Amino acid sequence: MIDAQKISVTLSGAPILNEVSFRAQAGQLTAVVGPNGSGKTTLLKAATGELPYSGVIDLDGRDIQDYSTADLAARRAVLPQAAALAFPFTVLEVVRLGLLSGLHAEDDDLPSRVLAHVGLAGFEGRFYHALSGGEQQRCQLARVLVQVWQPVRSGRSSWLFLDEPVSALDIGYQLEVMQIARDFVDKGGSVVAVMHDLNLTSMFADSVALLAGGRLLVQGDPTTVLTDQHLSAAYNCNVRVNVAPEQIGQVPFILPHMASLG
Amino acid sequence: MVNQWKFTILGGLSSFLVGIAVFATVAQAEEVPSRVLSIGGSVTEIIYALGEQDRLIARDTTSSFPAEAEALPDVGYMRALSPEGILSVDPQLIIAEAGSGPQETIAVMEQAQIPFITVPDGYDGAAVGAKIRAVADALGVSERGETLATSIDAQLDALDTQSDASKRVLFILSMQGGRILASGANTAADGIITLSGGINAVTDFEGYKPLTDEAVTAANPDVIVMMDRDGDHATADNDLWGNPAISTTNAGQTQNIVRIDGLLLLGFGPRTPEAVATLHDALYGDL
Amino acid sequence: MVTFDTSIASKFRRSSGDRRDLAMRVIWISALLLAVMIVASLTVGASGTSLLAALMDWASGLDIGLRERVILFDIRAPRTLMGVLVGASLAVSGAVMQGLFRNPLADPGLVGVSAGAGLGAILAIVLGGLLPPAIAAFTGIYTVPMAAFLGGWLTTMLLYRVSTNRGRTSVAVMLLAGIAVGALSGALSGVLVYMADDAQLRDLTFWGLGSLAGATWTKFAVAAPLIALSLAATPFLAKGLNALTLGEATAQHLGIRVQLMKNVAILTVAGATGAAVAVSGGIGFVGIVIPHLLRLAIGPDHRYLLPASALLGGSLLLFSDMISRTIIAPAELPIGIVTATIGGPFFLYILLRNRGVLDI
Repeated sequence: MIDAQKISVTLSGAPILNEVSFRAQAGQLTAVVGPNGSGKTTLLKAATGELPYSGVIDLDGRDIQDYSTADLAARRAVLPQAAALAFPFTVLEVVRLGLLSGLHAEDDDLPSRVLAHVGLAGFEGRFYHALSGGEQQRCQLARVLVQVWQPVRSGRSSWLFLDEPVSALDIGYQLEVMQIARDFVDKGGSVVAVMHDLNLTSMFADSVALLAGGRLLVQGDPTTVLTDQHLSAAYNCNVRVNVAPEQIGQVPFILPHMASLG
Repeated sequence: MVNQWKFTILGGLSSFLVGIAVFATVAQAEEVPSRVLSIGGSVTEIIYALGEQDRLIARDTTSSFPAEAEALPDVGYMRALSPEGILSVDPQLIIAEAGSGPQETIAVMEQAQIPFITVPDGYDGAAVGAKIRAVADALGVSERGETLATSIDAQLDALDTQSDASKRVLFILSMQGGRILASGANTAADGIITLSGGINAVTDFEGYKPLTDEAVTAANPDVIVMMDRDGDHATADNDLWGNPAISTTNAGQTQNIVRIDGLLLLGFGPRTPEAVATLHDALYGDL
Repeated sequence: MVTFDTSIASKFRRSSGDRRDLAMRVIWISALLLAVMIVASLTVGASGTSLLAALMDWASGLDIGLRERVILFDIRAPRTLMGVLVGASLAVSGAVMQGLFRNPLADPGLVGVSAGAGLGAILAIVLGGLLPPAIAAFTGIYTVPMAAFLGGWLTTMLLYRVSTNRGRTSVAVMLLAGIAVGALSGALSGVLVYMADDAQLRDLTFWGLGSLAGATWTKFAVAAPLIALSLAATPFLAKGLNALTLGEATAQHLGIRVQLMKNVAILTVAGATGAAVAVSGGIGFVGIVIPHLLRLAIGPDHRYLLPASALLGGSLLLFSDMISRTIIAPAELPIGIVTATIGGPFFLYILLRNRGVLDI
């Protein structure tokens, strides 16, 4: 479990996060949502140890400050928003970087199997920088999956932190990538994902944390968090939450609109 | 990394071999060195003047006079000599101008037991004689050296260069991009100007330094001296007289320029009396 | 190195994207090439003395002349070993810098190491005469190399202090500060050049062009431990530099102790470059061209790139040195001129052929 208590972050003198407390349960997909500038990515970066913060973040019952870099790498992988590569690596070589944490002595097939899993079968020999934005995103997803593949298989606690994993993707791949994240949870892993798309959030998340203005507005299951009232307040516009037809699972679906519906 | 250890071991081994080899060396019999390497234009000139040129086997880049010398193998610039380059011409004796090197190369010559004799440098009349005697001693022809040195000294004394109307002379080493590189005190140019009865127009600094326009104006030379290089003198003259600072000086207004071969002018070798006479005539010939 | 045609590399990458076997093959070829170059370097020279002939004479109990012994063991042997070490350290320093700065154009020259070393050398050449006689007698002809090393080392430390804030070293700040320090040492060097006399100016010019001609066992003994130690540290950097390709944050997430790795990388480069510049002067180009060539052939994986750079860098420098001391024998061409003359056009050709791969 991730238990973050009263997290505050100040960047260049400006407060970005103000005493945010939130929890992500193991074995769940926890989504962090909120408008631009609400502090979603900052919260994720604090939780991955990238940014200095005040407050306490426990990962599986232990302060993340007390983990060594290698221990953390063995327990969680992080998919950044954008990853430019400095040198011309092939797709296979990029995915193999996920093996650096040293857990996978000689599982030479793993990168190729994971590449097939993210829909990039046969892309091993392509150059990373020659891929489309969506392909690069899935290649990076394969890299982080490789990093946490083995812990999940052996039943150890294993976390994926995803920062807007589907922003660069078309709707087909959005579903596919979210499904991969869901699969990971179903196999015993845990996911924390910063999300923009509220409808995908409502379809895939077990728990949703809604941020606005550097504060946590509300956290809970999607149906309690994703309401007209919460979303209108957070996003500062009129939002109507509907219920999707039965065949797609009766999840909330969200439409913003200009008119006031009273 | 393994390779480096191997190299270190190899290095140690070969030092060891050298040690044994040097230990086993038998002292060689004394003999007059017949294979001589000359480093420095003036040294080469002196060897020719002494009539010992048959013993020369190689020279450095600055040895361009007499013209026959240029037929000898060139071991490179006198200040950047390569040890193996020198050993490849197999000299028994090396005679070098002061400032030849680098030190590492001289150290290797000591190891190879090849005498490396550096002759003293200087920019006055006595320096020429001293140089000649040093070269002659090294070659084992001291008497002939004494004769030559005495003759050069006499020639210099015979030249009446101390005219009443001493002229101010500016020696310009180069004018790259309009920047005037002039000779200050304690240079060969300063020495030859003084010997020829002129006054060096800039003595505020030592060595060759770029002059500001104002310093050129303040120095106000009557004559400008430059080295005579192959090329288009007309263009060079245009650059010179077109220079605003020089145009304000006496030399600029009378367009008074003297060009003399660099090695002759600055070599301080056996041709120095000739250089003094030439420069003196150029300075005062019209009086 | 011309034989690593890039089409071989492209064949490999089309098939599997796995270039490890190719990389190992290239490393073995480079090692073999270096061995050939070492034997050639001991055998080729202005004097025509042959190592093999001399060794055979020596082995069969014949007396080989003093001249041959001096040429083989006091001139060519230290020069050859120095060439290997200097070439290896220049190429590896280049590769490490490029990895650290995530920029294929980075070079020890960029972070001020070379500028600092150059300033040290110029100081020693121009002001060496002002040293107290006791110190001057102690340092002797090694004053210039020692000053160069000290200069490189001090500059690196200064830059490191400037760009490190609360235990975190900003590579961007270091790059910018390096440019500032480079300009400053350039200005100081200019002042010294103005103060220099004619003879010193010529020394400066020749030092700047670089040469292995001054290689002696003593110099080798001064430089070798430092260079060897620095090179020995690089295998521990390889994984970290690979991860750093994805950025510092991601490298940390992959389990790399990024700050520690940056510290080691900077020390390594300062040590290797400082020592190399100190004993051989300014030899440019090796640090850029060798890592580039190898990246085109075997990819950017530093686990293979670093050892291959060391081997090929040593070969390139030995090859250049052989040209430098034979082409106008008995005189010698400064090696910096040779490396630039053979490296420049070849590099341009490779760039033209691989514009697509490099343009990222």
